[in-house]
Amino acid sequence: MSYAVDRRGFLRAAGAGAAALGLGSALASCGSDQQSGGTATLTWWDYFTLDNFQPAMTALVKDIEAHVPGVRIERRTFPFADLDRQITLGAVSGDLPDIAIVDNVAMNSLGGSGLLADLTDRIEEWGQADQYYEGPWAGCQVAGKSLGIPNNSNCLALYCNTAMLRTADVQPPTTWDELAAAAHRLTSGDRFGLALSAIRTEEGVFQFLPFLWQAGGDLDTFAGYGATALSFLDDLVAKGSLSEQCVGWTQQDVNTRFIHQRAALQINGPWQLPTLKNADLEWEVVALPSDRTSATCLGGENWVVMASSEHLDKAWAVLEYTQRPSVLVPYLVALGNLPARKDLASAGTWASDPALRLFLSQLPVARPRQYGPHYADASRAVAEAEQAVLTGAAAPSAAAKSAAVKIDKALERR
Amino acid sequence: MRPSRPTPLSLSARRRRAGYLFSVPGLVFLGLFLAYPLLYNVWTSVHDVGLRELLGGAPRFTGLANYRTTVSDPDFWHAVRLTMVFTLGSLLFQFVIGFALALLFARPFPLNGLLRSLLLVAWLLPAVVSGTLFRWMLDGESGVYNALLRRAGLGGLSHDWLTDPSTSLAGVVLANVWVGVPFNMLLLLVGLHTIDPELHEAAAIDGAGVWQRFRWITLPLMRPVSVPVLLLGLVYTFKVFDIIFVMTGGGPVDATSVLSLYVYEIFFKFFRFGEGAAAGLLLLLVPLLAGALYVRRLRREGETA
Repeated sequence: MSYAVDRRGFLRAAGAGAAALGLGSALASCGSDQQSGGTATLTWWDYFTLDNFQPAMTALVKDIEAHVPGVRIERRTFPFADLDRQITLGAVSGDLPDIAIVDNVAMNSLGGSGLLADLTDRIEEWGQADQYYEGPWAGCQVAGKSLGIPNNSNCLALYCNTAMLRTADVQPPTTWDELAAAAHRLTSGDRFGLALSAIRTEEGVFQFLPFLWQAGGDLDTFAGYGATALSFLDDLVAKGSLSEQCVGWTQQDVNTRFIHQRAALQINGPWQLPTLKNADLEWEVVALPSDRTSATCLGGENWVVMASSEHLDKAWAVLEYTQRPSVLVPYLVALGNLPARKDLASAGTWASDPALRLFLSQLPVARPRQYGPHYADASRAVAEAEQAVLTGAAAPSAAAKSAAVKIDKALERR
Repeated sequence: MRPSRPTPLSLSARRRRAGYLFSVPGLVFLGLFLAYPLLYNVWTSVHDVGLRELLGGAPRFTGLANYRTTVSDPDFWHAVRLTMVFTLGSLLFQFVIGFALALLFARPFPLNGLLRSLLLVAWLLPAVVSGTLFRWMLDGESGVYNALLRRAGLGGLSHDWLTDPSTSLAGVVLANVWVGVPFNMLLLLVGLHTIDPELHEAAAIDGAGVWQRFRWITLPLMRPVSVPVLLLGLVYTFKVFDIIFVMTGGGPVDATSVLSLYVYEIFFKFFRFGEGAAAGLLLLLVPLLAGALYVRRLRREGETA
C-alpha cells in the first residue's frame, strides 16, 4: 500500500500535466498555422525508445525533412506497452499524431476502429504492393482496405548453442520429434534443453502460435490442434527439457538464459542478434522445427497514418519516401531489422549475414496475427491455457477446450 | 449612538466568506480531477463504448447491460475473491507486524531512530521498485530467497513462488506487506506515545504482567488509532495495482488477477470501455464504503473531543 497521497506532489504533477496539455494544443495549433505557409509539422509517434535506435531514427527524420517538400517532423516516443494506450487516450482527447509506427498486432484493435486513414487508393497509384512479402503486407489489410505499410519484419527461429550440440552429438532439430529428443539430450544439471517465453502477454502468445500452426490448426480450431500443441510443450516440461518457469519469462529473459548457457536451444527473434554477436558463445540459427507444416509468427512494425490527420497527403509522401530502397536499406541495417520487401532480399547486411539470411528466408512462412478487433481476448485465452498446462493446473485437452470457447466468442464478436 | 456608516460584516460572517473563498481552489480541483472523471465514468458505464465509438460515433445507451455483463463474468468474481484474499491477507500481516514493530520502537534503545528511518525507506520506495525487487528475490532460479534456503541446506523448501499459481498470490501479498508495514508502524507508534505511562506503572504495581498490561491497557487505548489505520489500509490495499502488475502481470494463468488488473485489462487490452467503467465503479464500492465509515468515525471523534 504505497498510495499515501502526498497532496503537494499530486498538485505539482497535475499542474505539470495541465501545462503539458496546454503545450500540446499550442504545438498542434502551431502545426496547422504553418500549413498555410507551405510547411506542415507532422507529429510522429513510435516506440523505439532504446538508445541504440536513436541515431537511425534521428537520421531518418532529418532525411525526410530534407527531401520531402514542406514537411517538418515532430517525433515522440513511448514505451512499447504504452503506445497503444496512448493512441487510445489520444483518441479521447483528440490529440493524435499524423503518423505512427505501430506493432503489427495492433492492426487488430486499431484496424476496425476508424482511427487509421484508408490508404488504399494512394497505394494502388503507387503500385509497389507486390514488392512486399505476403505476411507483412496482409497484416496491413483490414476488411479490404490498406491501412498501412510494413516498416520492418521479424519472425521467430531456433537458436542453437553449437558447442553444446556438438558435445551431445545432436543435430539441429527440424521436426517436433527431433526437437523433443534434442531438448531431452541437451538437458543436464541446471541447464535446460530448450527455452522459450510463455509469459501471460502477447509475447508468450507470439511464441506459442507457431506450435499451433505447425500442428495444422489455427485459433478457430483450437480445441483440437491447441491440445496437440499444448501437450507437446507439456511433455517437454514433464521431461524436464523445458523449465516450468518459462511462464514468467519474457523473450529477453529467454535470451539471457541462452547467453548464460542455461539453455541449449532457444526460440527467439532477430532483434537478439546484436546482443548475441557480442556474447562469448558459439551459436547458429535454424528454422523452427515443423510438424504437419512449417510456420513461424510474424512480428514487426507498420507505418500508419491517423484518419484525423490534417495532412494526409504529406503524411503519405513521408511514408512513400521511407520505402525507397536508398532510404530503407540503411535505416533497416542501422536498426538491425529485416526488410518486409522481397526486392531488398539481396541488399543490406541480411544478404551476407547467415543469421539474418535465415530469418529472412522464414518470412514466407511467417503468419501475421490477424484476427479482428477482439483478438486481444483470444490472445488472453491462449496465454492462460498455455500457462495452466505448463504449471500443471490443467490438462492440455481440458485447457484447450475451455480456451476454445473463449476464443470462438472473441472471434465471433462483432 | 452609532454613526450611520455601512455596518461592517460581523466577524463570523467575514470568516465564513473567507472560508468559502479559500475552498474555491480545492473545489475547482476536485470538480475537475475527481467529479468530472467520475461522472464521465458513470456515463461510460451505461453506454456501449469501444474504440470506434470513442472516435466520434455516438455510443449507444445500453442501460445496465455493462453491469450485467460484468457480474455474469466468472473472471470478475474470480478477481473479487482474489482481491478479498489479497486485501485481508495484506491488512492482517501489515497490522500485526506493524504493531509488533511499533511496540519495539516505543521503548528507547541504541540506534532506535536510525533503524526506524531505515524501515521507512520501504514505504518511500515507488511500488514499481519494490515490486521489481521482490520479483528478483522470489525468482525460482536466480532469486536470493532460494539461494539462502539452498545454502542453509533447506534446498527442498526452495520454491518458484511467482510462477506457481498456488503460491503467486502469497508472493505478491508478501511484497505488499513489506511495503505496508512501515505505514502501520508509524501511525501505531504515534498512538502508543499517547498512552500515559503512569497507567502501565500503576498496573504493574497492582501485579499485572506484560501480557495483561498489553491486553487490558495498550490494546483498548489503541483502538482510536487502530481502526483508522485498518480502514486506510483497506482503502489503499483494495485498489493496489502496480506491485502486482510488476511482479506477475496477473499470472500465472489468472492467479493474481485482482480487480484492479481485471479493470485495467478490460480497458487497455480489450478496449471495452463501457464494461471497464462498470467494473471500475463496482471496484470503487468497497473503498467508498470504508471511506464513508472512516469519515463518520472522524466526525464522531470530532464531536466528542
